[in-house]
Amino acid sequence: MKINFTINGKGRAKEIKASTLLIDLIRDGLKLKGTKPGCFEGECGACTVLVDGHAINSCLYLAVNVAGKSITTIEGLGGEDQFLDIVQEKLIEHGGVQCGFCTSGMAMSIKSYSDKCKEEGKVPNRNEVAKSLEGNLCRCTGYVKIVDAAISVCGN
Amino acid sequence: MSYDFNIESPQTADELLAVIAANQDKNFRFGAGGTDLLLELKRAPQENLTVVNLAQLKDPIFKSITKVAGGYRIGALVTAGEVLDHEEVKSEFYTLWEAAHNLASMQIRQVATVGGNLCTASPSGDIACALVALHARCEIINTKGELRSVSVADFSTGVRKTVIQKNEVLRSVVVPINSNPNLHSGFIKVGTRLSMECSVVSLAYHIQMDDNRTIRHAGIAIGAVAPTIKFTDSACAFLIGKSKLIDTEREEFAGLISDYASPISDVRASAWYREEVLFNISKGLME
Repeated sequence: MKINFTINGKGRAKEIKASTLLIDLIRDGLKLKGTKPGCFEGECGACTVLVDGHAINSCLYLAVNVAGKSITTIEGLGGEDQFLDIVQEKLIEHGGVQCGFCTSGMAMSIKSYSDKCKEEGKVPNRNEVAKSLEGNLCRCTGYVKIVDAAISVCGN
Repeated sequence: MSYDFNIESPQTADELLAVIAANQDKNFRFGAGGTDLLLELKRAPQENLTVVNLAQLKDPIFKSITKVAGGYRIGALVTAGEVLDHEEVKSEFYTLWEAAHNLASMQIRQVATVGGNLCTASPSGDIACALVALHARCEIINTKGELRSVSVADFSTGVRKTVIQKNEVLRSVVVPINSNPNLHSGFIKVGTRLSMECSVVSLAYHIQMDDNRTIRHAGIAIGAVAPTIKFTDSACAFLIGKSKLIDTEREEFAGLISDYASPISDVRASAWYREEVLFNISKGLME
């Protein structure tokens, strides 16, 4: 079947199978390798992308359900030929990146949550920020610097 | 056999009922958020399976929370995230709000649905446990468009089993409005870690008190300690007419709740641990 969607601001049409997972469409179909395959069970969050601005696990999401929707991956956040997003800037500034495998997923979760907070005019506390990242595992850091980065994105 | 299936994506309630009717002699499964279903199908693929994809359905009853006579109707496709963003759910039914808050992660709450939590019929379902405590009722619709109502407490008949027939689908749940002004409501979840955890023991409570703080109405449900979520009738009855419990009453009350538990030992916890935890959180409930 053929679906139409927007990926990182560009409209695309793609032939997929009914059972195709969004992560496979992104990595294999669109060759965007910044979205990482981790556990494939929704536990680690490395595959997190935004669908219409909201963070979801692309390993547990059917590609058919992005029809008519807008996907943002780490490549759409910033880098290469565009400026880095504030989320990426803050992760670098706070030293929130070590091996990097979890980073793209972390960045997308921080983006989703900080945008929601801004929309609601809310400045979240440290516990709330940490809770928003409970679906993202990092095995290098102790999370402290990642949470620091997220807090500064959220306006503290 | 590899992971694969056909898909039907109805856009309206009528289309959904037609799809169910057309697939009566075939192997089909409903998928909404997909967070349980896709995991299951990756682990144990099924042959000639059709997934009836509910994620594109636009029907307002399936998809929204609305005030109706005597309560709030929550559509089966309302997500955990939408429950969290609903101010009246938070103020009126805090146990449900807290259950949704404790469910999995932000990414999963974004897509996981109330109906999915009920239909997956796990004894450790968080939203399901809160809905049992709230005396909520399921509204089930069949291919002829006929509605029937079943209490959430009776909806699951065993692990991964529900009363839903092959020609039916869960449309919505109705949570009755509170009849008293003062509430003691919440959701206690004990797991082996704080985040992303399947409950070892869960307890949903929704206790209503009159102006004199006398308990007039109580709903307490326990999860992950029996094949289905249990409503603890006798413990609830014990509270009616009281306002505070003295020490010995708290022990008696915890004993009444524990009577409903028949836990097993599994990878997450032993039966003994589950019993101890349940007794202790029950004892602390009315302090």
